Amino acid sequence: MYETVHARPDGTSTVSRLALTVSELGYDGLVVRCHDDAMAEYDPAALSTEFGIDVVEGVEIRADDRSAAASAITRHRSRRTIVCVHGGQHNRLACEDERVDVLAHPMADGDFNHVLARAAADNGVHVEFNFARVLRADGGERVEALRGLRRLRTLVDKYDVPYVVSADARSHLQLRAPRELFGVGATIGFTDDQVRHGLRAWGEIATRNRDRRSESFIEPGVRTGRYEEND
Amino acid sequence: MRHLPKHLRPRWRYLGVGLETWPDARIDRGQFQRELYYTAQNLIGDIGSTDVDLSVYAFVFDDGEGAAVVRVRRGAVERGRAVLACVDRIADQPVRVTVRGVSGTVRACEERYIRRPLESPEERTVAFENADRFAFVRDRRVAVRTDSGFAGATDFDIE
Repeated sequence: MYETVHARPDGTSTVSRLALTVSELGYDGLVVRCHDDAMAEYDPAALSTEFGIDVVEGVEIRADDRSAAASAITRHRSRRTIVCVHGGQHNRLACEDERVDVLAHPMADGDFNHVLARAAADNGVHVEFNFARVLRADGGERVEALRGLRRLRTLVDKYDVPYVVSADARSHLQLRAPRELFGVGATIGFTDDQVRHGLRAWGEIATRNRDRRSESFIEPGVRTGRYEEND
Repeated sequence: MRHLPKHLRPRWRYLGVGLETWPDARIDRGQFQRELYYTAQNLIGDIGSTDVDLSVYAFVFDDGEGAAVVRVRRGAVERGRAVLACVDRIADQPVRVTVRGVSGTVRACEERYIRRPLESPEERTVAFENADRFAFVRDRRVAVRTDSGFAGATDFDIE
């Protein structure tokens, strides 16, 4: 299971501190998804060896207008393992672009409906169940977050949209162990299996994308290998 | 008053809970208990709170690290975990609450999960992000004082 974080300067803790805490909580990996206007500098390979977890380079694209978002996707796709789009006003763009891996918090200040759900399922774009406001807000804001999650869950079930789950931590103090997220999930209407599947999906996306970026990959099902030469 | 017969007494489980926050934070047992009740009421309501219980038993806290024993009703452990996961701040100080484990008695819980606090953090100046900063260092963990509050780091980030 993988957890995702915003590291300094996007959050308050460094990638190494987040990696240390994530490894203590029993996760297998960490996806660093700083917003593209506040990227952290770190060495994923060195941190992976140091803390014994898989550190994945990701990005969350946040742009004011559509064309800026589209060009940011093009720019980051070849450099980062996981490309997320900051949900809200660019939900449609993200769902219709198969280069996008994850549409982050689509309900935070945007809308997600059956048309987008179908597009996301067709393009293999994962939608995110973001627990941040369930864990860290209360009152009206939390009610709104819960309403969004409920609506998203209905659409995800109906159209079989791939999904991920995250607590979306901005410091090591905001990280929670998988079992605690299962507990929270159960309280707000998710099954343990759904939450587990959502946390594992990050790792599956990372593995798939690394495979695609490897040199032997040509297209799905086609790869170069070593074969005997014909005379 | 006479005790209830054993088969009628409520059954409890005790959660061994760890607390982590910034080194300058001060948290006492009363504040933690109040925050727990408050969070439970917000998340699962009055009825849920009665079902789960969530009384704080043992409590130790020193230099930004602490531990506690929290009582929950047997069968409501997962909901207890959910409430603990939603505790984000205590007395306006950000905290991380983790469940280290579950026991059937207070004594077993204390013995197994309430460790003596680590030695006090060492205060020294470190080089962090190309500047000399004041920091609290405890084994691998480093809390660096920056212009906008503390930054969490490890020995990996400082020279």
